[in-house]
Amino acid sequence: MKESMMDILCCPMDKADLELEVDHEDEDEIVSGTLTCTECGEAYPIEEGVPNMLPPDMRDDVPA
Amino acid sequence: MSVTETPAATRDDADQLDAKTQRTAVRERYGRIAAESGSCCDDTASCCGETAAEDTQVSTQHGYSADDLAAVAGDANLNLGCGNPTAIASLDAGDTVLDLGSGGGFDCFLAAREVGPDGHVVGVDMTPEMVETARDNVAANDASNVEFRLGEIEHLPVADASVDVVISNCVVNLSPDKPQVFREAYRVLRPGGRVAISDVVLTADLPTDLRTDPESVAACVAGAATISALESMLTEAGFVHVTIEPKADSDEFIREWDDALDLSEYIVAATIEAERPEAGA
Repeated sequence: MKESMMDILCCPMDKADLELEVDHEDEDEIVSGTLTCTECGEAYPIEEGVPNMLPPDMRDDVPA
Repeated sequence: MSVTETPAATRDDADQLDAKTQRTAVRERYGRIAAESGSCCDDTASCCGETAAEDTQVSTQHGYSADDLAAVAGDANLNLGCGNPTAIASLDAGDTVLDLGSGGGFDCFLAAREVGPDGHVVGVDMTPEMVETARDNVAANDASNVEFRLGEIEHLPVADASVDVVISNCVVNLSPDKPQVFREAYRVLRPGGRVAISDVVLTADLPTDLRTDPESVAACVAGAATISALESMLTEAGFVHVTIEPKADSDEFIREWDDALDLSEYIVAATIEAERPEAGA
């Protein structure tokens, strides 16, 4: 994801702003990192450029 | 682990599937389709005819032009929709567009052409394999104004009043909590923003065995709501200028969705449009 898109991203649960921590980025975008909700503290991983913004109870039971 | 649902997500009628069963069936089906999209043709999936020519015919029935089909590279077009929301959305350059249930990303890439380099298109899908397929297609289409997020359309990870147009193609019917989907769409739209959705709507009561079959929900049949139910949901969410227009010739492709039963007797494809009122309106 591009950092410029942070503006329209929010926590899916309480809609609060997120704090971005970048682990790896290339010239185009953030490849991996973490988005942490400034309100509830839930952490959403960015993996292979895609933020995983599924609610916590759905993130844990992804079918194989 | 214990499942904590929001109260709204659990208030289905007793004869309906619970939300979790429904969601799991949907994710499994579309995960499978996405995983197989590289090697097309699997007769358990509603996507894909026997030949490329049949695929094109289905896409044309859905309302895509030859130009649309030629414009998008990769396997973004999985033929899982039931219309062409971008065509009804009349997008402007610079618009921010949100696609609910973006799948392989086809409608996002078409929308990206309309909104241009100053616009943005965000696709949200809850199936990891679909988001992966869509992301591969970003590279194939050199679409720097399109992004995908793994997310749930009942809990959009999208800021309030940040979107001009919400599009969706044959996805809202899959949701166990449609009122919540429309409330979320309303929340993320700017005042004056609108929804342009293609979806199936129910025209006659389904047989009970079909209505309670998770696979039938996942196949865009059992979860369909009536036009009047959808109108109420949209109005209750706050939308105005709600129009739901059945698509006259959609029986041609809906009839092909099931070998045993003519599903066009129960569902029809429709375009669903509505607006969030301007501030102070």
